[in-house]
Amino acid sequence: MLRRPVRITLVGVLMWGLAIAVIVGVVAGSIATLSSGGISGTTWTRLIVAGLSQGAIYALIALGYTLVYGVLLMINFAHGEVFMFGAFAGLFVAQALLGVDAPFMEQPLIGLLIVFAAAMLTSMTVAIVLERVAYRPLRRAPRLVPLITAIGASLFLQYTAFGLFGPRTRRYPSVEFLEGRTTLFGLEFANVQLVTIGAAVVLMTLLYYVVEHTRTGRSMRAVSEDKDVAALMGINVDRTIVTTFAIGGLLAGAAGVLYAFLFLNVDFGMGILPGIKAFTAAVLGGIGNLAGAAIGGVVIGVMERVTPSLVLYGFGVPSPGQLSDVVAFSVLVLVLIFRPTGLFGRKENV
Amino acid sequence: MDATMQSTYRRAINAGLIAGVAMIYLASVGLVGAFAERPIIASIGGEGPGLITLGRVMLATPAFLIGLIVAGRIRGTGTGTGASAAAVAALSGAVAGLLFGVFLLLIAAVDVRGVFLPLTPALVETLAFGQEPIVGAIINVLLAGAVAALAALIRLLDGRDRAAVLAAIGIVLLVAMLEPIIRPILGRVELDAVRDFMFTGGGLTLPAAALLAGLVIAYTWSTRHPSSPVRRQLDAVSDERRRQLQIGAAIIGVLIVLAVPFVATGFVSLVLFNVGLYLMLALGLNIVVGYAGLLDLGYVAFFAVGAYAMGVLTSSASSMGGPMSALFGAEWGFWLALPVVLIIAAIVGLLIGAPVLRLRGDYLAIVTLGFGEIARVLVGSEALRPALGGPNGVVGVPNLTIPGFGELTSPGEYYYPVVAFAAFAAYMAWRLSNSRTGRAWMAMREDETVAQATGVNTTNYKLLAFALGGTLGGLAGALFAVQLRTVFPGSFLLIVSITVLAIIILGGMGTIRGVIAGALILVGLPEALREFGEYRFLVYGAALVAMMVLRPEGLFPSKTRRAELHEESDEDKQLGESFQDPDRAAPTATGANA
Repeated sequence: MLRRPVRITLVGVLMWGLAIAVIVGVVAGSIATLSSGGISGTTWTRLIVAGLSQGAIYALIALGYTLVYGVLLMINFAHGEVFMFGAFAGLFVAQALLGVDAPFMEQPLIGLLIVFAAAMLTSMTVAIVLERVAYRPLRRAPRLVPLITAIGASLFLQYTAFGLFGPRTRRYPSVEFLEGRTTLFGLEFANVQLVTIGAAVVLMTLLYYVVEHTRTGRSMRAVSEDKDVAALMGINVDRTIVTTFAIGGLLAGAAGVLYAFLFLNVDFGMGILPGIKAFTAAVLGGIGNLAGAAIGGVVIGVMERVTPSLVLYGFGVPSPGQLSDVVAFSVLVLVLIFRPTGLFGRKENV
Repeated sequence: MDATMQSTYRRAINAGLIAGVAMIYLASVGLVGAFAERPIIASIGGEGPGLITLGRVMLATPAFLIGLIVAGRIRGTGTGTGASAAAVAALSGAVAGLLFGVFLLLIAAVDVRGVFLPLTPALVETLAFGQEPIVGAIINVLLAGAVAALAALIRLLDGRDRAAVLAAIGIVLLVAMLEPIIRPILGRVELDAVRDFMFTGGGLTLPAAALLAGLVIAYTWSTRHPSSPVRRQLDAVSDERRRQLQIGAAIIGVLIVLAVPFVATGFVSLVLFNVGLYLMLALGLNIVVGYAGLLDLGYVAFFAVGAYAMGVLTSSASSMGGPMSALFGAEWGFWLALPVVLIIAAIVGLLIGAPVLRLRGDYLAIVTLGFGEIARVLVGSEALRPALGGPNGVVGVPNLTIPGFGELTSPGEYYYPVVAFAAFAAYMAWRLSNSRTGRAWMAMREDETVAQATGVNTTNYKLLAFALGGTLGGLAGALFAVQLRTVFPGSFLLIVSITVLAIIILGGMGTIRGVIAGALILVGLPEALREFGEYRFLVYGAALVAMMVLRPEGLFPSKTRRAELHEESDEDKQLGESFQDPDRAAPTATGANA
C-alpha cells in the first residue's frame, strides 16, 4: 500500500497560509497583550463573567438550531426572529406586571415566571407557524430551497415586528432584585448574569431529560436518524418535527427574555446578530449535537468578550471591543472552513 | 355527493378564515394604514383620499385570491354550476370579512396601541368607512363576500377572457400606482389634456380607468383570440418581416430608455439609477448563484470593496491622516481608478472563493454571510479609521467626468453611465451563459461530481464565478461611490445581499430578463411608491418565501431551469400527495394496477 503523494495546489497553500497566519496572529497578539500588562486581572474576570452569561443565552438559541438541523438538515435562519418575538412578548408582559406600580412589584419572582411563560409560548407559536407555513411544503425540495425560504422568513418576521411594534428601541422595566451583585467562587456576578446562567442550566437539563428519557425525545432521535424508517416504525414524523420546532421556540423565547434583561433593550432587528452567533455556536459544537451546542454557546460568548482585548489590544488596535462581532464571525468562517464537523461533530453529519 | 358538498363548504370556510387572518395581518402591521392615503381611483367629487385607495386594494386582495382559488377548486372537481361556485366563494369571502369585522370591533373597543402601534383610532375609522364600528364591520363582511364572488366569476371565465380581465385589473393598478411618475411625464410631453383626463386630485379618474381596462381587454382579445381579424393578420406576417419588426421594436425600446431623463423628472432618473445599480449587483450575483449554483449571502462585501476602493483612490478629502493615506490619497480620476477597483474586487472574489471551494451549499452560504458581516463591521470600525474613515466613511469623492461631455453634477445625470454599465454587464452575462464557461457552470450547479467526471475543472470554474461576480459587484460599488460622492459604512448591510438575492429569485435564477424584471419590481416600484418605506423589506421576505414555496423557478424562468426544478419535484410532489390525500392518489394506484 503506497501512500499517494500529496498534491500541492495553490488553494492548498493558501489555506495553510491562512491557518498559520491565524495561529501566529492570535499567539503574538496574546503575548503582546499579556506582557504589556495593560489590562488588569479584574477586567479579565469581568469579561469572562460577561462572556459566560452571554454564552448561556447563545447556548439556548443554539440548541434550537441544532435540534432543527438534526431532524430536517436545514439551517433555520429565522430562528433569531423567533427569539426576537419572545423578547417582545416578554417586554409587554413585563411592562404590565413589573413596571412601576404594577401588580407584581412586590413578588417579582412570580411576575418573572409569568413573563417567561408568555415569551416562551409566543416564541413557540411563531416557530410552529413558521414550520407549518414556510418549511413543511418544502420537505423534499433541493437543499438550498429551504435555506432561501428561511432567509425570506427571517426578513418577513423582522419587518412584521417592525410593522407591529414600530422601529423604536424599547426598554425592559428594571427589576430591583436583578440589579444587585453577588460574589460566587471568588467571581463577582451581577444578579441578572447569575439568573441567566441558572435559567439556562435548568432549561438545558430539562431538555436533556426530554430528549433522552421521554417517548417524544425518542421519536425525535429516531426522526433525526432516518425519517422514512421512523415513519415505518409508527412515528408521526410531521408531529415530531413540529414538536422539535416547538421545543426550539420555547428555548429561544426564554433566551429572548434573558437577553432583554441583560441588555434591557428590545427592537425588531435584535434577532439577527445573536441568531448568527448562536448558529456559530451550534456549528462549533458540531451541528446536530446538543451538548456540543451548549458548550459551543459558552465558548463563543466568552471568546467574543475576551479575544478582542486579548489579541487585538496587543497590536495596539483602537477600541478593540468594537470588533467583538468580527471575532464571532471569524470563528464561524474558520470553523466552517477548517473543521465543518465542529469540535464534537460526527463525520456523517456533513 | 353530499359528502363532497360538505367538504367543499368546509374548505371554503377554512380558506375564508385564512384570508381573514391575512386581512388582520395587513391591517396590524400598518400596511393598510400606510397606503390609506394613496388613491388608485379618484373619488368622483374629488373629495377625500379617493374612491378606492391602495390600502383598500390591499385589504381586498386576500378575499380576491381565495375567490379565485375556491372557484378553481369547484371547477376542478366538476361539481356545481357557475352560480353555485360564486355563492361558495361569496361565503368564503364573507367568512374572511366576518373575522376581520370581529377584529375591527375588538380594536374599536380596546385600545391596544401600547403594543400594536398601527392600530390607531384613525385606522379604525378608515377600516369602518367612517361609520360606526358595527356598521363598518357589516360593510366589510358584504364587501369581502362581493369581492370573492367577483373573483370567482372571473375564474369561471374562459381561459383567454380570464387572462384579459386579470391583465386589465393589473394594468389599471400599475398605472394608478405609477401616477407620480406618469403624471409629470405627460406634462412634459405636452399632453396636458390626457394628463387632466387621467389624473385629477390623485389616482386615475373613473372614466380613465374604465377606458384603460377596455383598451387592455381589447388588445389582449384581438392579439390572442384565434378568430379575431388582428390575430389573423398577425399570423400572416412572414418570418422575415417579423424579425424586422422585432428589431424595430428593440430600437424603439432603446430610444425610450435613452429618452427617460429628457421627459421624466429628476426623481425618476434617480429611481432608475437605483434600479440600474441593483440590476448590476443582481447580474453579478446571478453569475455566482444562478449560473454556478454557489449561494453567496455576503455579496454586499464586493459592493463595499468597490465603493471603498473607488472612494479611497479618488477622494480629495484630507481628513484621512495616517499611514494609509500616503499609499492611497492619490486623487486619481474615475477612469484611471476603475480598472484598479475592478481588479481589486476580482482579487477579493478569489480570496473569498478559495477557502470555501470544498464547502457544500448551505455551509457555503453561511461562510459567505460571515465574510459579508466581517466586511460590514470592519469598514465602520475605529481600527480601520486611518484607511477607510471609520464611522464617518470616505468623503470628497469627485464627480464623474465623461471625456468629451464634461462633469456630471446632479445625481440624476448618473442615469446614463449606470444604464451603459448595466447594459454592458447584461451583455457579458448573456454571452457567458451561452458559452462553454456557462455550460460548465450549469453542469456544476446541477451535479458537481458528474461535472467533475466529465472533465469540468470545478476549482477553476468556481473561482472564475466568484471573481466575475465580485467584479460586477465592485463595478456597482464604484458607481455608487461617485454618484453619492461619499462612502458611508451604513450602506453595506446584510439587507443589501438579501435584496439582491430576492431580485434574482423573483425574476428567475439564471435568466437576464428575469433579473431585469426583478430589479424593476423590487427596487423600482417601492422607490416610486414612497409610502412603502421600510415595508419593502417585508415584501422582499414574503416574496422569497412565496416564490420558494409556490414557484421556485421564478416569474420568468429559463427553459432549462424550469425543467431541472420540475423534473425533481414533480415526482416528489406526487409521492407526498399520495401520502396525504388518499382520494387523489386512488386513481393513480388503480391505473398502475390495471
